[in-house]
Amino acid sequence: MSGQTGNAAHKEESAGLMKYSAENLVPFGPIHPALKEPEYFKLILEGERIVEVIPRIGYVHRGLEKAAESRPWVQNMYMFERTCGICSFVHSLTYGQAVEGLTIYEIPRRAKFIRTIIAELERIHSHLLWVGLMGHWAGFETLFMWVWRDREVVLDLVEAISGNRIHKSMNTFCGVRRDMPEGMEDRIVERMKFLVDRANYYKQIVDTEETMLERTEGVGRISPDTAEKLCAVGPMARYVGLKYDIRLNDPYAAYEEVPFDIVTRKEGDVHALLKLRLDELIVSANMISYAVQHLPSGPIRIKIPPIIPAGEHSSHSEAPRGEIFYYVKSSGGRTPDRVKSRQPTMANLPTALEMLKGQTIADVPVVLTAIDPCFGCMDRMSFLDIETNRRWTWSGEELRKYGINYYFPEREKKR
Amino acid sequence: MSGVLLPQIENLAAEAKTKSTQLRKGETIVEVDQSQLKNFIKRLVTETNARHLSTITGLDLDPNIGIIYHFWYERNTIHVKTFVPKTAPTALSIVDIIPGAILYEMEIHDMFGVMFTGNPWMNKKLLLPDNWPSDLPPPLLKNAKTAEIRKRLGLEVEKK
Repeated sequence: MSGQTGNAAHKEESAGLMKYSAENLVPFGPIHPALKEPEYFKLILEGERIVEVIPRIGYVHRGLEKAAESRPWVQNMYMFERTCGICSFVHSLTYGQAVEGLTIYEIPRRAKFIRTIIAELERIHSHLLWVGLMGHWAGFETLFMWVWRDREVVLDLVEAISGNRIHKSMNTFCGVRRDMPEGMEDRIVERMKFLVDRANYYKQIVDTEETMLERTEGVGRISPDTAEKLCAVGPMARYVGLKYDIRLNDPYAAYEEVPFDIVTRKEGDVHALLKLRLDELIVSANMISYAVQHLPSGPIRIKIPPIIPAGEHSSHSEAPRGEIFYYVKSSGGRTPDRVKSRQPTMANLPTALEMLKGQTIADVPVVLTAIDPCFGCMDRMSFLDIETNRRWTWSGEELRKYGINYYFPEREKKR
Repeated sequence: MSGVLLPQIENLAAEAKTKSTQLRKGETIVEVDQSQLKNFIKRLVTETNARHLSTITGLDLDPNIGIIYHFWYERNTIHVKTFVPKTAPTALSIVDIIPGAILYEMEIHDMFGVMFTGNPWMNKKLLLPDNWPSDLPPPLLKNAKTAEIRKRLGLEVEKK
């Protein structure tokens, strides 16, 4: 069973450490300036080079999967939307699709288009955010400032459509809750043109600016075979040339009707990821322009009963970070029997660990940022009620004692 | 391509002495016995195009624990379902076939208490805190109560 007491786990850990001398183990995190969310990576070094990485995640568990089992179907949709503060819409979209699969209702065509528009706006938002962070970690702050300024363009549009910048709460079962406002079309098309121009300019920058080239070229190389075996998803699969894109492979929403090209690259380093995400941004901007100009008329939602028929169904879709996967099981009641959600960062973490091997310690922030990690997403489940705040206070002294006991159990015994 | 995939899966299922059921369009489920599972998955990823493992789901189906491996290729999702008894929750790890499954197995180990023999990181915790009491049931089993877990971990919140 899973139950090892804390002390037994410590003993095992320290036994494992005996293989390596104390100098070549570097703890990275859980609180580290290069990580915006708390995760712990145990880096084992040989000189400056990383030979092994052991992850420990779960610092920001919120217990969503357990919590979902005691909440009504529709309430869960908005709860799962709060899994992530960046790709929030795609969570509710995928959960919604999984549940809709159990019912007999068809989603109106207009709702499908609106879902596509919002999902693509979100992708642009996420990719811009990432490019900015990449500039930050590569030591190119100007890029960070510029890109995050342009990100406001997307956030303003999202706010105009949904009333909110991040948590759009646009989805509901078999439709969307809000229609596109009147007269938005020209504004969206014009703003998308602006973003395409900016993205082209940034592409030029990352290709010529020496800071970016030196920090990213040749860093974090993996082969397509490795990426495939490690089940990499999204941009992490596409940057080595694998054609994994759920929008194309298994179209959902209106992706069958909106033309677009899948972007892949061959180089397989962090620099390729930068260019890949900027190219995808341009593709998304063009998709949005097309979708708003071809928006069909009609209803935006169908009302469905609160009881979902028994059965099991899964759905996946392409989040900005890669494939997002939901599995739902219903026993025909008002609450789900089981909801499983798998976030792209969880799928990409083994690939990131592989990318880190052979890199120097100085490259760790760049490589870890390269996968566009969202640890908050990854840690979504455990045993806490999200409605109540997690209260876990430790005094500095307790924390220090815990740290000493964790790393040097013998020293604590002597006292 | 999907025209080829589904007959291939039917064949594989027949060889594992089970059969594949189409849940709905594009979704196939195969219930495979624990003893046949590793061989089935090995042949699935080497002989067919369904090589990408989306994730592994654990299910509390009293008296068993269900484990579902979700694969996909193009417009087809293949759920490979297997069962382990709750009294002896041990399953064979597929890390040697699909290295990317390592974290998913650790997650099920944490959340359902299933031991995957052959997974090198089974002695580590991935998601649960280090001070998780060993006598509590794994959190995603139906008999694990949120209130009790919160109490035992000292995470109770004072109500105003």
